[in-house]
Parts: sequence; structure tokens; C-alpha cells
Amino acid sequence: MQKQRLNPEELLPLTPSVFHILLALSDGDLHGYGIMQEVAEHTDGQIRLGPGTLYGAIKRLLGSGLIVEADERPDPELDDERRRYYRLTDYGRQVLKAEVQRISKMVSVAQRKKLTPKQT
Amino acid sequence: MLLSKRLFQLMLLAYPREFRLEYGPDMAQVFCDCYRETQSQGFVTSTTFWLRTICDVIRTAPLERLDTLGRDSAMKNLKANVIGLLACLVVIVVAFLLLGYGRRHEVASILLFGHALDAIVTAGIISNLIIFPLVMATRLSPFWTALWSLVIVNGALLLMAILIGSRVDPQFSFSRVSIGYVVSFILWLGIHWIWSQTKNTTEPVA
Repeated sequence: MQKQRLNPEELLPLTPSVFHILLALSDGDLHGYGIMQEVAEHTDGQIRLGPGTLYGAIKRLLGSGLIVEADERPDPELDDERRRYYRLTDYGRQVLKAEVQRISKMVSVAQRKKLTPKQT
Repeated sequence: MLLSKRLFQLMLLAYPREFRLEYGPDMAQVFCDCYRETQSQGFVTSTTFWLRTICDVIRTAPLERLDTLGRDSAMKNLKANVIGLLACLVVIVVAFLLLGYGRRHEVASILLFGHALDAIVTAGIISNLIIFPLVMATRLSPFWTALWSLVIVNGALLLMAILIGSRVDPQFSFSRVSIGYVVSFILWLGIHWIWSQTKNTTEPVA
């Protein structure tokens, strides 16, 4: 039975780890380790997901339909074929966009209050 | 590397079985990838990596356990079971008190239903002592377990009442006793039907 999906705004705010996982998957399919590397790179190493945090979040994201397991596997010569790749769904992208919009609003409020760091 | 992997696999035992079966191999693979990466970066990085991994397990394993418990139908049904058990106890106690009051004060309107109240108390105690443990300990359907238990218990009690009561009590009325057990059967079946409906609606949606 198709699970009824919530309005993207109802899932906000996302936790930092979920937000960064969705952000990492926005460029294309990635496996667990790939997501970890992408998140560490995005955040200049400030967020390093542990295996438990990563797969706990993946489990919940799969459950709520924000990501799916990708059917296509890369060439076995290029990567370990046992790895599972994950893909952002259209619904996941909507939720991610809604979160980015929410953060942008907060940043513009901070800008109005002159709280953002000065551009060099 | 092998020893570290084995150690991490041991740490995975902290997670619920269901989660471990689904994501354990992936987690071990990710751990090995990260471990390989830190190996070339010296002792401090390696130690930090281990500390971070241990903290991650300590932080996430209880969350996954709680999540599994939350989805466990037995736990979800606990509330329904307690409510059902309490409802049955209340019915038995009320019927017992009514019967006692009616007999002491010879209240005709209560005594009119004496046989039914008697059957409700006796059949209620015996059948609920069978139904609740059976349903809670097994995966049997609550409604069908209740139905068959009530048929057997009410039938057996009616048979005993006919065999013993007709010999001991000269005023024994077969029809009244039978109606009493039929009323008891319908009442208890109704209560157990409501209970089974409550249990079904508390099953996980996903």
C-alpha cells in the first residue's frame, strides 16, 4: 500500500546529518562511504558521519521515501558491486529545497541584523 | 585490519538484529574504508577515528533499539492488552458485587439475572485466564482465540451445571441456566471483539 506522504514543510527542520546526506545525494547516486566523504568535504571536515549515524539516517530516509536504493550498479571493475547506491527521490528533492529555503530565510534575517560575517 | 574489522563487527551486536541484518555488512564495509583511510595518517588520527566510532555506536545503538521497540507490535499492543485486561476485571468485579448485593438484599430485579451474573463471573474468570496468556504469548488471532475459548468454557460450565445442578438443586431450571451462559458468551465475545479491534488498530501503519 502506498504510504501517504507528508507536505515537505512538515518534515522540517531536518537534522544536520539528514540535511547533509540529502545534499550529498543531490548531485547523483552515492554509496555509504561516498556520502560520508561528500559530507566531510562539504563541511570542511566539521561533520564526520559515523557508520551508525549514516545508516540510521539512511534507514529513516528510505522509510519516509526521501531516498531510494538505486537499481543501477557501476561497472564491477570500477567499484565493489556489493555496495548499495542511494538516490534522491523527487519528494526528497522537494524536502531538501524546502529546507534550503527555510535556512535562506534565517540567513536573510541574520543579514538584516548585520550578523553575517563580513565578505572579504 | 582484520582484527579491527572483527572488533567493529562485535560492536555491531549493540544494534537490534533486524537493523544489523539489513545494514551490518554495509556498516562494516564503510568502517573498513574509513579505517584504511586513517591508517596512513598516523597514530593520533587512528585513535581519534576509533574514539569517534565508539561514540557513534554508543549514541546510535540505543536509538535504533528504541526505534525497534517502538515498532514492535507486542509493545504497541501492550496498552491495548492492559486496557482489555482491566475491562474484563471490571466486568467480573461488577457482576460479582451485583450478585452479592442482590442475594444479601434479595433484590428481585438483580436476582432475575442471577444465572447470567453467575455465568459471567465463573466463565469470565476461567476463559480470561486462558485467552489473555494465549494471545499475549502467541501470534494467535485474539478474536478466534476468544471465540473458541468461550465456546469451550461456557459449554463445559453449562454441561457441569446440568449434570450437577439438576441432581443437587430441586429448583434447577435448565432454560434459565442455559440463557445465563448464552448471555455470558455474548457479553464476553463482545468485549473480546472490541479488544481485538483495538489491537488491530494499534499495529504499525508503515
